[in-house]
Amino acid sequence: MNKLAEWQLTLPLALAFAAIFLAPLLMLVGVSFFNDDKITEPGFAQWAKFYGDPFSYKVIGDTMLLGVKTVCATILVGYPLALVYLDAPQRLQKVLIFIIVMPLLLSVVVRTFAWIVVLGREGVVNQLLLSLGIISEPLRLLQTELGLVISLTQIEMPLMLLPLISVMSRLDPNLRDASAALGASRWRTLFTVIVPLSMPGLVAGCLLVFASSTTAFISQTVIGGVRLIYLPLLIWQQSLVVFNWPFAAVVSISLLVSVLTVVSALSWLGRRSGGYVHG
Amino acid sequence: MFSRRSLLAGATALGGTSLLPSLAHAKGIVTAATYPGSWEEAYRTVVAPALKKAHDIDLELQPLYAVDQIAKVRAARGAPPFDAFVLDPGPRITGIDGGLFEKFDGKKISNASKLPAGMIDEWGICVGAQVVGIGYNPKKLPKPKGWKDLLSDPWVSRLGITGFQTTFGTVSLIEIAKAFGGSETNVEPAFVELKKVLPKIAAVGNPAAMAGLLQQGQCDITYTNIQTVAILKSRGVDIEFVKPDSGAVAFFTTMHIAKGAADAENAYKYFDTVVSKAVGDALVQPPHNFIPVNKEVVLPPSLPMTNLDEMSTYVRHDWSKINPLRAAWIEKFNKEMAK
Repeated sequence: MNKLAEWQLTLPLALAFAAIFLAPLLMLVGVSFFNDDKITEPGFAQWAKFYGDPFSYKVIGDTMLLGVKTVCATILVGYPLALVYLDAPQRLQKVLIFIIVMPLLLSVVVRTFAWIVVLGREGVVNQLLLSLGIISEPLRLLQTELGLVISLTQIEMPLMLLPLISVMSRLDPNLRDASAALGASRWRTLFTVIVPLSMPGLVAGCLLVFASSTTAFISQTVIGGVRLIYLPLLIWQQSLVVFNWPFAAVVSISLLVSVLTVVSALSWLGRRSGGYVHG
Repeated sequence: MFSRRSLLAGATALGGTSLLPSLAHAKGIVTAATYPGSWEEAYRTVVAPALKKAHDIDLELQPLYAVDQIAKVRAARGAPPFDAFVLDPGPRITGIDGGLFEKFDGKKISNASKLPAGMIDEWGICVGAQVVGIGYNPKKLPKPKGWKDLLSDPWVSRLGITGFQTTFGTVSLIEIAKAFGGSETNVEPAFVELKKVLPKIAAVGNPAAMAGLLQQGQCDITYTNIQTVAILKSRGVDIEFVKPDSGAVAFFTTMHIAKGAADAENAYKYFDTVVSKAVGDALVQPPHNFIPVNKEVVLPPSLPMTNLDEMSTYVRHDWSKINPLRAAWIEKFNKEMAK
């Protein structure tokens, strides 16, 4: 097949992409440059309103910080789990992969509401701690950032583990043996051999978890409550309650750009680490 | 199987719409938006069979909140995804202002004479009422008297609140403001008082999560509508409804024909069925607990009123005044409540 024909093969997907993603995105940008909610008067008023308000910067910062915290928590819990998977016999690996993928088979709404039962004032965690006498008053876990990060860690975990495991299971086991034979301790082998080699998977996982947790509207509002304000809540309020679509467009673009900036930085890191591993 | 809507959407994309109106009318279908949850369930089990029996019309329900209905029809620009709206007073005003409704012809409703005066206007028809007050757990808290009690001990530390994004949330916050010297257009006193007790408040939640938060004991008192209390009670939750001393709040739920609706005539038959005595008799019973508008429907003792005329003594609000202020209130609620 010549090069032109190969290029033509991508046309259907490219056209679909243009129609269902690019065109609405351009419309979104267009709508943001209107001053009024009836979308009749062009101008920059909504941009000025959003970026002239210090509260907006706090919300952007909090949203990005939530993503960072969730990414860190998923790495802390997920990486050891990936190492366990790597060393497990094949039969156990099948069981582990099933457990890892299982949350994806449940609707995110169900998973989120289940966390109300777990973290609630009379929920599983508080009941357990009370019955063990560790606490005398129920802890406030729901409607706190800690509770939200805990639940997002579980909800987003498959997105971290799947790319991580896929990269780690391709690692040559002889490399670890070689490292040990050359006198490196298990920790040194982990940090100088396994972690650098698994970096492309880790970066891909971070990228997915970050993008998904910063935009997880249902989890953020149901578990976090409405005192923790993140960009998706603002978009929902402005587009569906207040019907100020130009302002909602400004917030949406801000979310998109903020997430893309971090994601691009992570991708760059991924490419660098890929180069390091292979070059 | 393709639904009529998906078929219509597909044909529109292919430029074949001119062929479709006759097809669409031939089947006797009406596509109606309904609120997700208890409304959807009640309309599927009670209204749909009644409509089929009375007029041989199939009812296709689209579960959407009021604000989502407005957003979808606005976005569709003249090709609405459903024929009939069901709306609370705020979104109803938004719909009228946005030109989203067909003019309503009350003469097409055969049950019109059985409704109290003023239930039908040029834009639509009232199909039910909602009553908002206080829901609390009697096993954990003493009975509150009114809105002011919510912000004082022992209730405040078990209080769950929601913002201005829902109708019941908005009217309740207005009533709290009124209890502290505010008015329908001045909710500032509510903000001042809420701010004072904010650290004590048990939950500031998403409206969709409130039922779950009550069930899980995260909060034991909140403002809510009587229907939610009835549903939670039927599921074994310890909850009672209290009419505040200043009066419970009532607002009407209305139905409207979407501008450019494909099955407007069928929509009238649907509305007529909804306000009929037979449907009212069924919907007023548990687990639905709807407040009907048909005067011939006998009200059960579980409802807070003995007859519909009593509703005139309930607190009502002018949403044409509230709507223009709501965006600023939502924004202020975000800022004042944010951690």
